Amino acid sequence: MDLAVRIGSLALRNPVVTASGTFGYGDEYAHVVDLATIGAVITKTVTLEPRAGNQPARIAETAGGMLNSIGLENVGLERFRREKLPKLAALDATVIASLGGETPAELAALLEALGREKAIGAFELNFSCPNVSKGGAIYWTDARRLERTLRQLKPLTRAPLIAKLSPDVTSIAELARACEQGGADAITAVNTFVGMALDLDAAGHRLNRSTGGLSGPAIKPLALARCHEAARAVRIPVLGSGGIMSGRDALEFIAVGATAVQVGTASFIRPRAAAEVVDGMRAFLAARGIRRIAEWRGRLMEPPATPARRAPAARRAKPRNGRGASRTRCDGSGRSRARR
Amino acid sequence: MSATDEITRARAAGDPGGIVAPPAAWRQVDATVGAHRDAGAGHRCLELHVPRTFARPEPGQFVQLLLAPPAPVLLPRPMSVASVSASAGGLTLGFLYAAVGAGTQALAALSTGAVVHVLGPLGRGFPLDVAGTPVLVAGGRGVAPLLFAAEAFARRARRCELLFGARDAAHLVALAGATARLESAGGRMHLATDDGSRGLAGTVVDLLDRIAPRLRAPLVIHACGPHAMLRAVARWGLRHETPAFLAMESVMACGTGVCRGCPLPRSESARTELARRRDRIPSLYGSPEFAMCCTDGPVFAAPDLDWERIH
Repeated sequence: MDLAVRIGSLALRNPVVTASGTFGYGDEYAHVVDLATIGAVITKTVTLEPRAGNQPARIAETAGGMLNSIGLENVGLERFRREKLPKLAALDATVIASLGGETPAELAALLEALGREKAIGAFELNFSCPNVSKGGAIYWTDARRLERTLRQLKPLTRAPLIAKLSPDVTSIAELARACEQGGADAITAVNTFVGMALDLDAAGHRLNRSTGGLSGPAIKPLALARCHEAARAVRIPVLGSGGIMSGRDALEFIAVGATAVQVGTASFIRPRAAAEVVDGMRAFLAARGIRRIAEWRGRLMEPPATPARRAPAARRAKPRNGRGASRTRCDGSGRSRARR
Repeated sequence: MSATDEITRARAAGDPGGIVAPPAAWRQVDATVGAHRDAGAGHRCLELHVPRTFARPEPGQFVQLLLAPPAPVLLPRPMSVASVSASAGGLTLGFLYAAVGAGTQALAALSTGAVVHVLGPLGRGFPLDVAGTPVLVAGGRGVAPLLFAAEAFARRARRCELLFGARDAAHLVALAGATARLESAGGRMHLATDDGSRGLAGTVVDLLDRIAPRLRAPLVIHACGPHAMLRAVARWGLRHETPAFLAMESVMACGTGVCRGCPLPRSESARTELARRRDRIPSLYGSPEFAMCCTDGPVFAAPDLDWERIH
């Protein structure tokens, strides 16, 4: 069965990748998961300077999900290069490095340092951490800032750039389009949703910073809708993410237009979750006689509200024939995205 | 050099309870529920049979116990191992837990033969090789991993003093069984209750004040119980220059060091030491400010944590 997909110039053996912050630097789980069986490993977000992360409590379980407020704890660029990169290079896995910055200049500095590293197949730009006071999801909800930043970053590496977006925005479609116009090679939809949990008996918050990012099965319907919205808005690949626990969950995201999927919280519960998702997808598709993942992609996608490709000047123009024009994108299989 | 300095130095050199976590040996396996019975005061004793692929846990280590679907909770629950014995096809692990939340209540309803998923063994246990008369300090159900430690000490021909405290006699959980296990390990039991309904009327630290002078020095303390008790025991150890090792708890997601969700604040001295040695600590993710309960612990030496900031 052909599960191979492309994220820009990066070929993945299958569409299942591990979400940033849920799989360490790959080696933590390598003794229980054959990394060659999953599409790629996305590393914990690295920032220019080391970060201690937030005060405890950082985790609160809620109905069908969990809130986290880790706060981008990481070793920083210098030790990432010295200690983590050699390990990543030794993994039998495609590696996508997640980068976090409080400003466009910080992201540029990270890409200048890492952009030519052969061990890194692509970069995911974390435009959506809900748990930091500077450079988090709110800072990056400005479409023009996103577009400008991507324009600035694009020349710094030949590796694909993936923009990871927050779901807590008025229009993820607008942000996804801004990233595409700036030169992003793909979109990740979505990061965690901002949530809150209280301990009523103690009359207090369950997380130190009061809010955190909600993940797990509880967010899957919300994430699926955001993924669908993003996929309709752009022609570049979308990586669907949010509450994926099984192969069937993954195929829902692909059915609404995702090219690849990210498995996150599931790995905390079952470290082999990503590999199990691949197996589950394979079994589902095989049972239906589907031989290529591209045949499934977009199968349950609603037509785009506006034509997918248009000049900026035409942005507000209504489609001449919304439904008809979109048929070519929604008739089921590979379509334009697969040809890119 | 004080005893605590010595311990800090030994640990900094990578020795018992060192700062660098050992390479992971954990696995996630299917386990079968064996004996599962009431232990009084809302507690239950659970036995799980795990296959041979599961490494033998050491006293103080824990597992992540995950209910099979459909389950009322999403995340696994960290549980300290209370006993290990060989059984047909693998190991039998014992646990003592309180059925207080949705997860543990669902666990309490499982009968013999049910299947759960167990990930472990996790974390670093009690450093049993630190010299001295072992003084085990237990609060409530914290007694369980210490009985496991007492048996490991017995195999090293060392006899333990177990100081067992609780709010009242009823919360001296599974006392009869604990006493029997301790005696067969050659140890002696000392009791304290806040309300005086059994043993000394007072805290387990009051009991420590009373018992310690009668024991052969030097002493080494291993403790498990609520954080307030552990803080008091840690301070007792620091005050008396007696090495003390405390089995801490935290809310956790993964239990394997990946999620960074279970930080405990390190002491100033531990932070300074780590900052000085940072090049040799590949396991450290961020700054030295926090230790992770799951991989740096759950057992910590008293000088390593900032007890002012632990609740």
